[in-house]
Amino acid sequence: MADRPDAGELLEAVLEFLATEVLPDATDQRQKFRTLVAMNALGIARRELDSDEETLSAEELRELAARIRAGDVPEDALPILKEHVAAKLRVANPDYLQLYE
Amino acid sequence: MFDVPWAGDLAERLGAEVESMQLLAGGASKEAWAVDAGGERLLVRRAAGGVIHEATLPLEQEFEVLRAAEEAGVRVPHPVAYLGELGGREAFAMQRVEGETIGRRIVRDPPAGLDLQLAEELAKIHAIPPERLPFLTGGEILARFEAELDSVGEAHPAIEYGLAWLRERAPEPLPSVVLHGDFRLGNVVVSERGLEYLLDWEFAHLGDPTEDVAWPIVRAWRFGRDDLRLGGIGEVEPYLERYAELAGREIAVEDLLWWEVLGNLKWAIGSLTQSRRHLNGLERSVELAVLGRLAAEKEYELLDLIARHG
Repeated sequence: MADRPDAGELLEAVLEFLATEVLPDATDQRQKFRTLVAMNALGIARRELDSDEETLSAEELRELAARIRAGDVPEDALPILKEHVAAKLRVANPDYLQLYE
Repeated sequence: MFDVPWAGDLAERLGAEVESMQLLAGGASKEAWAVDAGGERLLVRRAAGGVIHEATLPLEQEFEVLRAAEEAGVRVPHPVAYLGELGGREAFAMQRVEGETIGRRIVRDPPAGLDLQLAEELAKIHAIPPERLPFLTGGEILARFEAELDSVGEAHPAIEYGLAWLRERAPEPLPSVVLHGDFRLGNVVVSERGLEYLLDWEFAHLGDPTEDVAWPIVRAWRFGRDDLRLGGIGEVEPYLERYAELAGREIAVEDLLWWEVLGNLKWAIGSLTQSRRHLNGLERSVELAVLGRLAAEKEYELLDLIARHG
């Protein structure tokens, strides 16, 4: 067990630093854009740490991918895959999923 | 002079005095320099030290594509000169142009007629005789995607599902033409007058014209304006009609779905391979890194398209 701040709290600290000290001072568009991208990356890491999403295991993903590649597409593949990708997006970009509601 | 060791070579090749030069953007594979020389405003594109993206043309060929496009009347920045190697890396000079290229800003208030102008430029590109650019290659697109996906080395059953769906419904291909290869907002320079220039010809290749026609329809290139299917700036029907008038080639609205799914699949795989450029050290960049996680957006969109229309 690590001392505090834990990994999530450290990510949050860096995120706040970027938001309050780096972003307002970004001089050109490109630097501003890259700072926003970096903040987005930290946000993904933060959500991943907090997530208890039940995603398919690496083994299950490999099996399903190989099966589909071989032309043997499971009957219920589409809903299973939609839910699997939705679970990834709840970590990677939850706002994006809302576009489909 | 200017602290750049090849500035003298540049002046010599251009046959003009270099008044100023400034690096605008530098990635691992390409640099862009704003150069003022002999009273002309130039943009010099120069290879960088890193490994070149395998799907892109070498600069000498990209320059030739630009020339062929200009000859065909396509609105492109004037290609000024292929410069050979500058400081050990190839480069070319073209006219430096001004205007808006940021998709998110263009969709906020698109100039009237931009939808039809896109169709007009596309018809001109697709009329370039392929023999004018003998180095361009084509090939079976789904096989290429499958190989690119395999190079990522990560299981993506959603993409496999898309590939299987596409394979089962592959349309009879239209005769191959010269394609821009990345025809969408972001690579279009726009002013209040409308479309000014088409940029970024490095992905030019041969293939079914519908590939270019449908690429700006992909959700990512609507920049948030999802109510307007054509690049967030218009409806597809007038665009397809104008294209058919000029190109003499009918592409029906129903033909677009297959290519829209393919476009999302292409961009999903593209996002994964870009993130690998970061992960394997070819080009360390947080922008590229994060794309590995954002590939899921395109996976979701392709599954949703199939669920709703397929």
